[in-house]
Amino acid sequence: MGTSDAALVRRVQTGDTGAYAGLVARYRDRLGRYALHMLGNREDAEEVLQDAFVRAYRSLARCDDPERFGAWLYGILVNRCRTAGARAARRARRFVHDPAALETAPLAGPDARAEWDDTVRWALARLPSESREAFLLKHVEELEYEDMARLTGAGVSALKMRVKRAREQLQAMLKEAERV
Amino acid sequence: MFDPVDDVIDRIARHLRRPVQIDPALDGRVMREITALPTPGGATALGKAWRWLRRPRQLTLTPLGGLAVAAAIAVVVLLARMNFRSPAPPQAESRAFQFVLVAPRATRISLVGDFNDWDATRTPMLRAGSEALWTVVVPLTPGRYHYAFLVDGSRWLADPSAPVARDDDYGAPSSVLTVGRGGDS
Repeated sequence: MGTSDAALVRRVQTGDTGAYAGLVARYRDRLGRYALHMLGNREDAEEVLQDAFVRAYRSLARCDDPERFGAWLYGILVNRCRTAGARAARRARRFVHDPAALETAPLAGPDARAEWDDTVRWALARLPSESREAFLLKHVEELEYEDMARLTGAGVSALKMRVKRAREQLQAMLKEAERV
Repeated sequence: MFDPVDDVIDRIARHLRRPVQIDPALDGRVMREITALPTPGGATALGKAWRWLRRPRQLTLTPLGGLAVAAAIAVVVLLARMNFRSPAPPQAESRAFQFVLVAPRATRISLVGDFNDWDATRTPMLRAGSEALWTVVVPLTPGRYHYAFLVDGSRWLADPSAPVARDDDYGAPSSVLTVGRGGDS
């Protein structure tokens, strides 16, 4: 069994910087998945992920419960994704806002799996960022609403509403895509 | 019962849950960046003392010592209960609240809110007397509830007779109902 998060955190706090590599390797892919789905492209996701790890390191003294390092790190990543998403939206570079372009966007891929992947990413990118965030945390990261509330700062009711609307919108978009 | 919405959402969620591989070179970039930074929390005496205080420790006790500690705790608890016994908190009583909406063209309406986890299947409203009037009665315990009406499965309406939720960042209109201890709202 590997070294626990808490043990690695304590080693870093006492000056063993190298121990942080264990934490980065442990959480890289899982957090990367959230960032990738949230931001819609790998380049931005990796940039945000790196930023989150560095920020977490700098604030490690404020990690009150090293046993819950993963949840604490998640909170930092969620915030970094929000900031990056807002920046990207301002640049209007990452997400397509032209409804006509969206309607004519190609959905077909080389095989059924790629086609489905394209469709899901297309639909996810069209969700409002708050709904996308709530949907990913609930249905992909499989968090409880109380944990989501701690991570996002939103109320449980608000989160339930966002998830519900995200589900409805995704279902409508998928139906629309199937008709194309 | 088969729900086509759940089926689609399950498919999407399963697809998105597939593992993602991030370039392991990211580890090196992070490590290069942090080695230029000071040790988190600093190596000051205060920082060290704070960490020392927060670090969990194992204590060893002889059986006799353990009994003495247990007896001391029992005495403290008994004294506290003798001096500060408070009456049992009253049970939160639920009161029936009637929700009403006038919607002449609606074919079905559900009441959704915190009290039913925003589940549109749990509290359907019924036509009452006139064709335009929809109503349902819900028992509620004291507390603050957000709610809305879901008309024909897709249109969200706040309650026109209730305050609109001020902290409404839900992306859809909703209302607030505060149920007091005496059932007043």
